[in-house]
Amino acid sequence: MDGKEVVINITHLSKVFIRDRRRIIALDDFGLEVREGEFVCLLGPSGCGKTTVLRIVAGLEAKSGGSAKVEGKEVRDAGPDRGMVFQEFALFPWRTVRKNIEFGLEVKHVPETDRADVSKKLIEFVGLKGFEDAHPRELSGGMKQRVAIARALANDPKVLLMDEPFGSLDAQTRNLMQKELLRIWSARRKTVLFVTHSVEEAVYLADRIVVMTARPGKVREIIDVPLSRPRDRTSREFITIRSKVLGELEEEFEKARAGELSPE
Amino acid sequence: MRSLTKSLSKVFISNWLRLTLSAVSLTVFLTLWWLFSAYLRADWPFQGVTPSPSTADYIPYWWDVLRAVGRSFVTRPQNTGGLLMSEHILASLKRISIAFVLALLSAVPLGLLMGRSRNAEALGRPLVELFRPIPPLAWVPIFLVIFKFFWGPIAIVFLGIFFPILLNVILGARSVDPVLIDAARTLGARRGTIFGKVVFPFTTPYLMTGITVGLGIGWMCIVAAEMLGAVGGGVGYYIFAANNTSQYELMYAGMVVIGMLSVLTTGIAGLIERWLYRWMGKK
Ligand SMILES: Nc1ncnc2c1ncn2[C@@H]1O[C@H](COP(=O)(O)OP(=O)(O)OP(=O)(O)O)[C@@H](O)[C@H]1O
Ligand SMILES: [Mg+2]
Repeated sequence: MDGKEVVINITHLSKVFIRDRRRIIALDDFGLEVREGEFVCLLGPSGCGKTTVLRIVAGLEAKSGGSAKVEGKEVRDAGPDRGMVFQEFALFPWRTVRKNIEFGLEVKHVPETDRADVSKKLIEFVGLKGFEDAHPRELSGGMKQRVAIARALANDPKVLLMDEPFGSLDAQTRNLMQKELLRIWSARRKTVLFVTHSVEEAVYLADRIVVMTARPGKVREIIDVPLSRPRDRTSREFITIRSKVLGELEEEFEKARAGELSPE
Repeated sequence: MRSLTKSLSKVFISNWLRLTLSAVSLTVFLTLWWLFSAYLRADWPFQGVTPSPSTADYIPYWWDVLRAVGRSFVTRPQNTGGLLMSEHILASLKRISIAFVLALLSAVPLGLLMGRSRNAEALGRPLVELFRPIPPLAWVPIFLVIFKFFWGPIAIVFLGIFFPILLNVILGARSVDPVLIDAARTLGARRGTIFGKVVFPFTTPYLMTGITVGLGIGWMCIVAAEMLGAVGGGVGYYIFAANNTSQYELMYAGMVVIGMLSVLTTGIAGLIERWLYRWMGKK
């Protein structure tokens, strides 16, 4: 918040899906500013529109109203300036680790030797040395997500959008990947918008935590996490912030449940 | 199917059980064939029974068929166009290859389009459903009139190969995981690139199924296609002519050759597949 440039600027964003002739209001007047180099986590009950926010910023989904700007420009289409990491990894199964990472460079017609340079460095950077020529099916979940992160980084995007990237990993791997992600984030100075279900993950990773309301999703509360890194999950400050976020979230969970029970 | 040489070496070198099993099934088949031929001729071990010489003409001993295969490569028999088997094989291979290349070049882009675009699908589907169930054989008279003796047989084989490829490519293109397309888009890929680098590679295994099935049907069609006298002969023409002139050993010889050619083209399809996979891993 120290006068750094606003990279992601979302105002009055709304999204209406139409399914079986019914209007589903996923987002309603959602607003958020993310500054350069910031790590922001989106947290909220299931179905509140977290993925939708990310997909709109990525340019994968059209918005219904409001504005979503990245570096001052209204988002119209997907582009390599916004890297995205999916929960399902979304690796190309027929490509090796190296060729997965080089995908974005191929698209940009970067010469082969330069591509190889970039992917070599990235493979080392994310700790995949020795697996250059492996195919995704030969990798564990954590390794797959390392490939997906490296693939997104290869385009050197300003913004990294991550949709529950560690959601399907076991607890051990998850903790390790969180550490790794922070290392990557601080080394590469990326602006990160990170969706998660886990309060602990959010408190461990984020500079700020955005708690969303139950559907239609808007911002309920933004909670700062002024702890220095690396963070100690058992420290009193950590636990205090975690309880606060959890309290906010629980009310929304209640609302979401009540909403599910009452006929729409 | 992935790689014929690999699977062959697996069956014939490293896996004795499978080698034995394959030998058993082949032996059983040849034994039954031999017993049936011997029965019709009242040869050993059926000396007692009444022979049926008219049927026996149609069922020669299998070793006579093998001998006929060998002979067909070195002698020019009467009434089968006066060509050597190698010349017939070349003629058929040429026909199949032209039909295959044409089918591939048309079915793959059409299939990708119809699998990815609802409008293209709506345009193409009625025609596909209308023409697909018609046996290629039914077209023989019309095609020979319209396309004449060079392109007519090719067109019939083409139909046999075209539809399996088209339908499999449509299915493959339709089942592309949407998240892969999203991923490609966030990596900067646009429509054309996505077709080339995501949809097509994803569809390749389906394409290979289509090619394998299509080539099989293509060989089935070749007898029909060459029936009415194709220029420059052909194995199908050879079978037909041998049958017409009651040279049944030669007819079977032609059938054996078609079987072997089909194995050969399936093997080539396996090589193409491996090459494609390697290419996709690289590009
Ligand atoms: N393509 C779509 N068509 C119709 N409705 C959709 C579509 N995508 C999302 N929705 C609806 O919009 C709402 C928000 O979805 P979204 O996936 O953004 O939620 P989420 O917060 O990411 O949920 P989760 O925590 O389960 O991932 C949900 O109610 C969902 O059913
Ligand atoms: Mg989601």
